Amino acid sequence: MRNPFWYVLALTLVLVLAAGCTAAAPEAGADVGAEQATDTTADTAATGEPITVRVSTVSEPSTLDPNLAEDSFSITPIEQLFLGLTNLNNETGAVEPELAESWTISEDGLTWTFNLRQDAVWSDGNPVTANDFVYSAKRAVMPETASPYAYVLYSVKNAAAINQTAIPTDTYDIESLGVRAVDDYTVEFTLEAPASYFESISSLWTLRPVPSWTIEEHGAAWTEPENIVVTGPYMITEWRPAELLVFEKNPSYYNAGQVQIDRVELHVITDQNTELALYESGDLDVIGDSATSLPIQVLTLVRENPTLSAELHEGPRASTTYVGFTMTKPPFDNALVRKAFSAAIDRETIVRDVVGSGIPATQFAPKGVFGAPDPEVGIATDIEQAQAWLAEAGYPGGEGFPTVTYRYFSNTLEEALAQALQAMWAENLNVTVELESMEFPAFLASTAGTVPVEEMPEMWRLGWSADYPDENNWVYEVFHCTDSQNRSRAECTEADELAKAAGSEQDSQKRIEMYAQVEQMMFGDEVRAAPYYHRGFTTLTKPFIQRAYSTFAPVNWDTWTVVEQ
Amino acid sequence: MLRLIIRRFLWFIPVFFVVTGITFLTMHALPGGPFDTDKTPPAMVQRMEQAFGLNRPVYEQYFIWLKNAAQLDFGPSLKQRGRPVAGFLLPGLAVSAQLGLFAMGFALLIGLPAGIIAALHRGRWQDRGATFVAILGVSVPPIVMGPLLMWLFALQLGWLPVAQWAGLDEGIIPYLSHIILPAVTLGAGLSAIIARLTRASLLQVLGEDYIRTAHAKGLARRTVTIRHALRNALIPVVTYLGPLAAAVLTGSLVVEQIFAIPGMGRYFVSSITSRDYPMVMAVVVIYAFIIVFVNLVVDVLYLFIDPRMDHGL
Repeated sequence: MRNPFWYVLALTLVLVLAAGCTAAAPEAGADVGAEQATDTTADTAATGEPITVRVSTVSEPSTLDPNLAEDSFSITPIEQLFLGLTNLNNETGAVEPELAESWTISEDGLTWTFNLRQDAVWSDGNPVTANDFVYSAKRAVMPETASPYAYVLYSVKNAAAINQTAIPTDTYDIESLGVRAVDDYTVEFTLEAPASYFESISSLWTLRPVPSWTIEEHGAAWTEPENIVVTGPYMITEWRPAELLVFEKNPSYYNAGQVQIDRVELHVITDQNTELALYESGDLDVIGDSATSLPIQVLTLVRENPTLSAELHEGPRASTTYVGFTMTKPPFDNALVRKAFSAAIDRETIVRDVVGSGIPATQFAPKGVFGAPDPEVGIATDIEQAQAWLAEAGYPGGEGFPTVTYRYFSNTLEEALAQALQAMWAENLNVTVELESMEFPAFLASTAGTVPVEEMPEMWRLGWSADYPDENNWVYEVFHCTDSQNRSRAECTEADELAKAAGSEQDSQKRIEMYAQVEQMMFGDEVRAAPYYHRGFTTLTKPFIQRAYSTFAPVNWDTWTVVEQ
Repeated sequence: MLRLIIRRFLWFIPVFFVVTGITFLTMHALPGGPFDTDKTPPAMVQRMEQAFGLNRPVYEQYFIWLKNAAQLDFGPSLKQRGRPVAGFLLPGLAVSAQLGLFAMGFALLIGLPAGIIAALHRGRWQDRGATFVAILGVSVPPIVMGPLLMWLFALQLGWLPVAQWAGLDEGIIPYLSHIILPAVTLGAGLSAIIARLTRASLLQVLGEDYIRTAHAKGLARRTVTIRHALRNALIPVVTYLGPLAAAVLTGSLVVEQIFAIPGMGRYFVSSITSRDYPMVMAVVVIYAFIIVFVNLVVDVLYLFIDPRMDHGL
C-alpha cells in the first residue's frame, strides 16, 4: 500500500533531476577537454602536466568585449586576452610599448602616430593591422554599440559628437572620427585638443583591436569561448557562468616563449570568507587580485596567522572614497562648514579600525597617479581646527547647527563607515547627522546632478577608481563644473579653468604644478568633497608564484612565474 | 487525475500574466536603471537605455517582452552585456535543483523518522531529544551553520572539500563530496520543520477514534501506526513541503554564496539590485512555473495518500 506514494515521489525526483541534467548538458559539454587539472601546482611542472594557477574574483566578469568593459572584474580577463597600443607597467604604472613599437606626437600635440609591430597575429592566424585599431575605435564610439566607456575616448576628434548622436533621428559620419590607418602598420589619431594624457588612454582596453570578422559573424556571441579570437598571451577556453573561466596560453602570441604559466583558472567566489578558506585549503593560489579589498575581519585573521601574513601583500590602488557635499544646500553652502566636516574625520582610525586596509587621504588622486600632488594637499584631520572653523561659520561648539543627513548605499563596509563618520562628527563637532541608507541604483539616482536641491541630502558617499592613472581622469572628469556630472553642484571657479587647461598642457612639469593647485583649490579651499581614504589592494599569493603586484594597472598573468619549492 | 493536471496547467496562464505584469511594473517603478553607475555620464546612460528600448513606454516594453517570451526568448542580460539570460539561469537552475534535491532528501531522511519517533515516545527522552535537535535546527540559520560545518569538516578534519561545485562529469565521488556540506546546511532547517510538523500531526491522528478502533480490532501496533496513522498524518507535511520544495529547488542565495555554488539563487537578488529587467522577469517566470508545478505534484500526492480526495479536487 505504501508503494504508490514512494513510487510517485521517487519518479518526481528522478524527473526533476533529469530535467536539471539535460539543461546542464550544453554547458558542461562546452570544453571539458583533456586537461582537468584540478590540483596541479608547481611540483607538477616537471611531470609535463600544464602549469596551472588558480585565481579568484569576487564578481563574474560582465563582458569580455574590450569596447564594452567598464568594471575591474571584466578588465582583468580582458587584459590577458587583448593587447593594446601600449601597456601600463604593473609595478610602476609607466606607459610602455605593446602593439605599438613607438609613437610620435605632432608639434601642435593634435596628431599621434603609432607605429605597430609587424609580428603580431590574431589567434586565428590573421595579422594584427592598423585597420583592426580603426575598426575598434569606431565601434567603441558608435552610438549603436552603446558602450558605457565611450567617454574616455572623447579626446579623439569628433568622438563626443558621434557618440552623442540621437539615433535613429539624427545621423553621423563615422569617417569623421579622428582615427585612420596610414598604412597596414601605422595608426594615426587626431585629437580635439592637445591631450598629454592620451599616452595613458592608448593603453586602455576600450581602444584595443577587436576582430571585425568574428564580430560580424557572431554578433554579441563573439566573446563566447568557442567564437572568440584574441591577440593576448592567453585565450579563454571555457566559461561556466557564476563558477569558472579557464584561460590557456595562446601559442600565437608573439611573446609566447616568455609565458610560463600554461593555464589560469579564474574562479568566481562571491563570499570573501570562503575565498580565504579555499586559499587556506590549497584550492586557490591567489586571492584578492580582483580589486575588492579583503574585509577587516578576514584581514585580522590573516594578520594573526604567521603563514598567511607572510603571503599577504598590501599595496596602493588608484581609488578614493570621499564624502560629497551639496554645495548649494545650507548650511553646506558655507565653505567653513565643509572645511570643519572634512577636518573632523579621523582618517587614521577609519583606515585602521573600520576598513582595515588602504591609506588616509586628504586629496582626491592618490600619489602615483600622474599629476597627483606630492607632498599631499587638502584638509588634514585636525579636530581643534575643525571646531574653530565651525565656530567661525557661526556654530560655536555645534550650537544651532541643524540636523543634517548623510546618505550612502547599503553594504557591510559602507554601513560601518557611515556609523564611524556619524560618531566622529558628533564627538568632534557636537552635531547631529542622520544616516540614510539606500540600495545602490536608487542611491545613485537620488544623488544625481539633476535631483532638486531640497531632495538632496547635505552629504553623501561616493568614490572614484581611475580609468587611467592621470589627474585628468580625476579632478577634471569627476569635478569639473560643466564637463562632469558635478554632483556637488559647484559653481565654476578658477579651479575648473585650470583643470581643463592642464589636460592640454604639453609641458609635464607644468601640468604637475597645475594639478597641485587644482587639488588644493577643490579639496583644501572650496572643499567640494572630503576625500578620506585611498583604497588598497590586499592580495594573498602562494609562495610558489613569483609575480608583480598591480598598482594602477590591471595585472598581467603572463609576467608571473611558478618556481620550484 | 488527468483533468486535474490539465486544469493546473491552464491555471498557469492567468498566474503568468498577473505575476509578470506586476513584476514588470514594480521593477520599472524602482528608481535607478541598469546603466546608472557613478561614472557613466547621463547622456551616455540615455543612449544605452535607448539601445535596449528602455526609453519606450512601460506597457509597450511589456508587450514586446510578452511577444518574445511567447517564443521562449527571454532576451539578453543587461548586466552581462549581450549574453542571453537563459545561458545563466538554465545551468544555474540545474545546479540548484540538484542541490535542492539532496537537501530535501536529507531533510526527509532526518525529519520524518525524528518526528515519528518523537510522537510515538511522547514525553520521553526520545521526544525531548528530537525536539531539542529540531529547535536547534530551526534556530541556527545557514549563515551560521554553513561556515561552522565548513570549518569543522573541511578545514579541521579535512574530510570534505571546502566549497565549490563539481558536476557529475567530474566523477561521482567529487560530485557527492562537494554536495554534502551545502545540502546539509540547506536541509538542516527543513528537517527540523518536517520533524516538528510530523510529530504534531501524528500525535493528533493517534488520538483519533479510528486508531483506537484499529487497536481494538487487534491489529499490530506497527500496522496501525504506519498504515492508518502515518498516512493521514502526512497530509499537512506534504502540503507544507510543496512551496518549500519550490524555494529549495531554485536555490538559496546564502548557501550558494558560502559554498561558492554556481546556482540560480544569486540571481533572485543580484538581478534586482542591478536592475537587470530581463533577468528579473525570467527568474520570476521560472519560479512561478515551479510553484505551480510543485503544487500539482502535491495534489497528485494527496490522491495517493488519501484516495477520498479525488472527489474534492
